[in-house]
Amino acid sequence: MQRFDYRDLIGGLFMVAVGLYVALHAHANYPIGQLQRMGPGYLPVVLGYMLAGFGLLIVLPALLRPVRDDGEPFAVRVFVAVLAAMAVFALTLERFGLAPATMLLVVIAALAEPGVRPVRTGLLAVGLAALGCIIFIYGLGVPIPVFAWGN
Amino acid sequence: MDIWSSVLLGLDTALSPSTLMYCFIGVFLGTFVGVLPGIGALVTIALLLPITYHLDPTQALIMLAGVYYGAYYGGSTASILLRLPGTPAAAVVCLDGYPMAQQGRAGVALFMTTIASFVGATIGILVLMLASPMLAKLALQFGPAEYFGVMALGLVAAATISGGNPIKGMAMVVVGLVLGLVGIDLQSGMERYTYGIIELNDGIGIVAIAMGVFGVAEVISKINNVEAGHVHSGGISMRSMLPTREDWKRSAMPLLRGSGIGSFFGALPGAGPTISSFLAYAIEQRVSRRPEAFGHGAIEGVTAPEAANNAGIQTAFVPTLTLGIPGDVVMAVLMAAMILHGIPPGPQLVLEQPDLFWGLIMSFWVGNIMLLVLNIPLIGLWVRILTIPYSVLYPGVLMLVCIGVFSVTNNTFQIWQVIAFGAFGYVLMLLRFPVAPMLLGLVLGKLLEEYFRRALVLSRGDLMVFVERPISAVFLALTLSLIVWGIWEAIRRKLRPPPTAGRRALTSND
Repeated sequence: MQRFDYRDLIGGLFMVAVGLYVALHAHANYPIGQLQRMGPGYLPVVLGYMLAGFGLLIVLPALLRPVRDDGEPFAVRVFVAVLAAMAVFALTLERFGLAPATMLLVVIAALAEPGVRPVRTGLLAVGLAALGCIIFIYGLGVPIPVFAWGN
Repeated sequence: MDIWSSVLLGLDTALSPSTLMYCFIGVFLGTFVGVLPGIGALVTIALLLPITYHLDPTQALIMLAGVYYGAYYGGSTASILLRLPGTPAAAVVCLDGYPMAQQGRAGVALFMTTIASFVGATIGILVLMLASPMLAKLALQFGPAEYFGVMALGLVAAATISGGNPIKGMAMVVVGLVLGLVGIDLQSGMERYTYGIIELNDGIGIVAIAMGVFGVAEVISKINNVEAGHVHSGGISMRSMLPTREDWKRSAMPLLRGSGIGSFFGALPGAGPTISSFLAYAIEQRVSRRPEAFGHGAIEGVTAPEAANNAGIQTAFVPTLTLGIPGDVVMAVLMAAMILHGIPPGPQLVLEQPDLFWGLIMSFWVGNIMLLVLNIPLIGLWVRILTIPYSVLYPGVLMLVCIGVFSVTNNTFQIWQVIAFGAFGYVLMLLRFPVAPMLLGLVLGKLLEEYFRRALVLSRGDLMVFVERPISAVFLALTLSLIVWGIWEAIRRKLRPPPTAGRRALTSND
């Protein structure tokens, strides 16, 4: 058992923070106007305070009761591997072409799982690269090269 | 125009060879992603969206809709064989479908869910055909104030009723509305929350958000959590699928009751197919003469919810097409697709573009007949697909997401957006915030603001317009009471001792 419902506490505080930021940013940068003649800042201010209000309504009950935490743990390794794979894809796609970018994506994404399976990952990388090129470049005419060297 | 000429007009569109092909692609892909746990109809539709830019709008819509209802046919397969729902609405089918499989009656369960899906969809389509034109005529009298009321109600209903903590649902709607602010404000021409990034001027892409929070976040949480199925693929022969006379007799009334429940709740914005299927199960258990059999392989527990969720999907098109108010997230994305194709849903669509509207509805018949063929003789194919391990599937999903989203604008900025929303969506999932209301808020936010402003222009800035017009007053009163109920409910629930650990999907109905 935990003393507070930490997940709700963090989530609620996050909503309060985002809400306040949205509202204050609008106060500082955009003309507010009135309800009848709303300026570009009117809606952001209203929505920001609303969000902060809902955040508080999540935080307060979370402080009042202990819970047994049965939620999903943060899968750090998977999280990093998947997002890194996509980031590398985004960085290499236009510079090196679709085929190398896809292979890198598959190899890095495979690190999300424990254990290394070089043969399976290799086959998957080559297969998916070929499939991607056939569908998107030859089939749909997406304007990216299959291979390219630095530009 | 009477209904028969409408039907003929629709069939004319739906039966043309190229439309048939796109319809088939849609339902085939839908069944495929429905069978596989971990990839949903929503991500598939978002992926196909950029591809459909080159298609005729009617065909594009027919294909995308096919993915949606096709996924619900496939959804029950994994529920029965692996006790892993392929779609949220199929979660309840696990309760009796899996025990049936353990008793060696998997074939019967698969056969009956397909029949139930077909019966449910048939009744749902009939309701859709009869109700839409009437509702569209009524909606013609709606002014901006009424639309504002209906939309506010739809949003709040989706956030509060769909299970989980209602306050979190409403907070997520607001997050969606805030995300909708990003970009150039159409009224003043001012850039809001763009921080000088030119790509953000047009706002955050709905495709990028959908792929991030439903595709990437889903993949992150499923890796290492989904095991490949140990399915005895030799076990499903045509002979083993044939139900006994007892099975038919037991299923007849549940099928009809389920379809009725589904047709009604599917059409309510915010309720939708998942809630319909849970409700249908609960009601069958209550009216049954042998409630103790439920949970141990009762065929009624499989057929009623399946009929309900498939009926619900079809009637969910009623509010989407006639009023432009999507009942759930997938509908919201479909609606965004329609707007992108220059065919905004609403009464004008129903009354002034009958070829498109009736063509779409008639394609539902065609698609459901295709699904019957795909799911009974070809069931062995889908069962085999279930044996593909997830570690082979997810790299492919990531690749499709990345290239698919890139091809929206041929700009890698889109991929960075997906990465950001993937991370955001996963964190929200860990903190137990529902992401669906966020997407609904984003899609409906712009329209909501637009109608609000227009109503005020017409009333010369008098806010009383929203309460003086009876229809809008009723909708807003309902909205307000839902908000109050939601807050009250959330606080009451928090102060009670926590329920014992269990699957959220299975407890949200209690």
